[in-house]
Amino acid sequence: MNLSQFEAWLADIDHRIAGVEVTASNLNKRRNRVDLPADKLVLFLEAVKGEASFVHLSAISCVDWIDDGEFELVYHLWSYELNQLISAHIRVSRDPGEYQSIYDLYRPAGFFERDIHEMYGLYFHGAPDMEKFILTEWNGIPPMRKEFDSEEFVEQNFSWQEYNPEWLKELVAEGGGVVIPCEEQRFSRSVATDHGIDQQHSNWSGCDVSSKLCRIDSKYRGGD
Amino acid sequence: MKEIKVENRREGNILSRVFDELNEFCRARSLFILHYCTGCGAIELPPVMTSRFDMERLGVQPMVTPRQADILLITGYVSIKTLKRVMLTYEQMGSPKYVIGICSCTVNGGMYWQSYATAKKLDEYMPVDLYIAGCMPRPEAIISGLRSLIRNIELGESNNWKKYYENYDYYLGNQQKLFGDEWQTPVDVIGEAEHYGLVGEGTYGEHTEILQRVQQPLKPLEMRL
Amino acid sequence: MDTQIFTEISLSEILVELLLMPVIAFLVGLVMVLWMRKIGARVQRRIGPPLFQPLYDVVKLFGKKTQVSHGVVHDIGIVMAMGGYIAAETLLPVPGMNGIAVYGGIITLTYLMMIPSLGLALGVGQCANPNGSIGISRALTAMLAYDIPFVIIVFGVAFHHETTNLVEIITQQQQAGIASWGAVQNPLLALAGLATLQGMLGKQPFEIYIAPAEIATGPMVEMSGKYLGGLFVMQAFQLYTAAVLYVSLFLGGGESWFELLAKSFVVVSIPMMIAFVFPRYRTEDLVRLFWKWPVMIGLLGVAFVG
Repeated sequence: MNLSQFEAWLADIDHRIAGVEVTASNLNKRRNRVDLPADKLVLFLEAVKGEASFVHLSAISCVDWIDDGEFELVYHLWSYELNQLISAHIRVSRDPGEYQSIYDLYRPAGFFERDIHEMYGLYFHGAPDMEKFILTEWNGIPPMRKEFDSEEFVEQNFSWQEYNPEWLKELVAEGGGVVIPCEEQRFSRSVATDHGIDQQHSNWSGCDVSSKLCRIDSKYRGGD
Repeated sequence: MKEIKVENRREGNILSRVFDELNEFCRARSLFILHYCTGCGAIELPPVMTSRFDMERLGVQPMVTPRQADILLITGYVSIKTLKRVMLTYEQMGSPKYVIGICSCTVNGGMYWQSYATAKKLDEYMPVDLYIAGCMPRPEAIISGLRSLIRNIELGESNNWKKYYENYDYYLGNQQKLFGDEWQTPVDVIGEAEHYGLVGEGTYGEHTEILQRVQQPLKPLEMRL
Repeated sequence: MDTQIFTEISLSEILVELLLMPVIAFLVGLVMVLWMRKIGARVQRRIGPPLFQPLYDVVKLFGKKTQVSHGVVHDIGIVMAMGGYIAAETLLPVPGMNGIAVYGGIITLTYLMMIPSLGLALGVGQCANPNGSIGISRALTAMLAYDIPFVIIVFGVAFHHETTNLVEIITQQQQAGIASWGAVQNPLLALAGLATLQGMLGKQPFEIYIAPAEIATGPMVEMSGKYLGGLFVMQAFQLYTAAVLYVSLFLGGGESWFELLAKSFVVVSIPMMIAFVFPRYRTEDLVRLFWKWPVMIGLLGVAFVG
């Protein structure tokens, strides 16, 4: 199959399987996104593997949409012939968190599904092995779920130690010091409301973290 | 030059004092580090060992098993899984032994301070002699840390290995909090403490009672071909 | 073949020599260990350890406060490992002291040099660590490999000098000058001897039985504190014995201590300089190598012995 045939195939697939929607397709950037209902996934995977030469499953990702009450599973498929990536997005309801395994179609899926089961609690029927292997010492809820607040857990169960190094004392003596102390650097949802830090700062994705780190002011930093 | 603490040196007759001084002198100048490093900070150890920042001129050389090593380097974050193995390793080492916590993750959790699966304060699980902060500390920083450890050993101040025997209940309590009540190691720490006369007030306690209830004798390793 | 070597030696003299020879061997061995580490460091373009480093290592190891032992056989193994070499020192004549070398020839010395490995095997077997068992089985296989050319060389030299008495071998070489040195008269045997020396010292490419990162130093895996100190002492003895034996057989011994030590240090340098630029052979390759080239060269050398 070559690229033009693949384009035609993509344009045609939503007619052949009901509910499949090619949301985005950029053949130059090699990214194609397909959204489909959960029960049509196996049909789609069989078609894409048999007809369109997407024989490599790169990964299965999972996103927790807690406000919608759904898990989003993303299947990343790669074709060696076409050098194209298809990411197939499905939504699974959060309440009975279970779905079927695609181990018979793609063997690597067994590993990814085991990982997702451990981290999100999403059960896959038909997978060969659902044993824990990463979090063998963990007894709580699956930690990647949004209702699990990792920082709150840490605040409750671990203690901190005093860190007062000499170089910091020297800086304080010269008039500098820590601008935002570590006790105010809290990103947890529950703690954020306690301390009155506005919602914009409690960003789970962490992309704001670098700007909030303890800034140490020193008079040698060139004029503040 | 720091003042030498006088209490350490007044025990015994003059011959034993000379031997003790010789012992401390040689122990400070010949340190074997364990060639096993926990987390990402281990990347800074090969530069310290190889030709550019040669650490053999300080007398430090790497050894591969905990039985032969003096220093346990905790480089980098200690996840709970790793901490179990680190405890096994620490208890197998022969005393006097020293623990160096390299990288900020051993100080207060470092970059992974929000994680549910890493240990934040290494001091709660084993006595730590020296912290070298950084992420990662450069080889010059590690060598400077090793030199201050050498100075401490010479002055007779680094006796934290005894603290493990004397406060075993405290350390065991923290370990049980992380690993569960069934936590046990093949090493009989209380037996060793009694044998070497290092029992302190903190050796026995409620946590050691739990340990004695759950402790099973060590089974020989099953040899499979 | 005359027996004039058996001069009158009193019992007290022998006792003093039996005490002094291992002590001197230990001290010279420590310096040889330092020499080895310095050469290694310079080959790797760095500064090596400071001057008294091997002494610091040994004192620190013997000064460890806690000790883990796996039983009586473990202790006996270490004693045998050190004891074999201490006994071998008394059979190795040095300038001024012959010890009991006249009563036991080079064959007894060869025999005694095999005892440390066997003792170590006993001790390591008691440790019941799989790494140790693998390591010591490799060590014994390697010993089998290098002992065949070693025995051929010893017999060649004994055949050439028509005696197995080490004192007489040394005296013959010293009396007739450089032209009668073993290295000049039987160069093939000397060459095979160098390869055997490399294997005996356990240096790359023949250090499969230590293999630090692969089997966690093999036999030394469960040795801590005083046992490891004993093994360090054994290493010092091993370097000294191998070097002085080679010098006695092929380089004419030493009429004075200075000459003996100079020659021994030169002999020790050769395996070190080869060792630090090589990786290691597998056990079966090692056996095949030793049973092919040094054996062939040794047999050729024996054939040409006059």
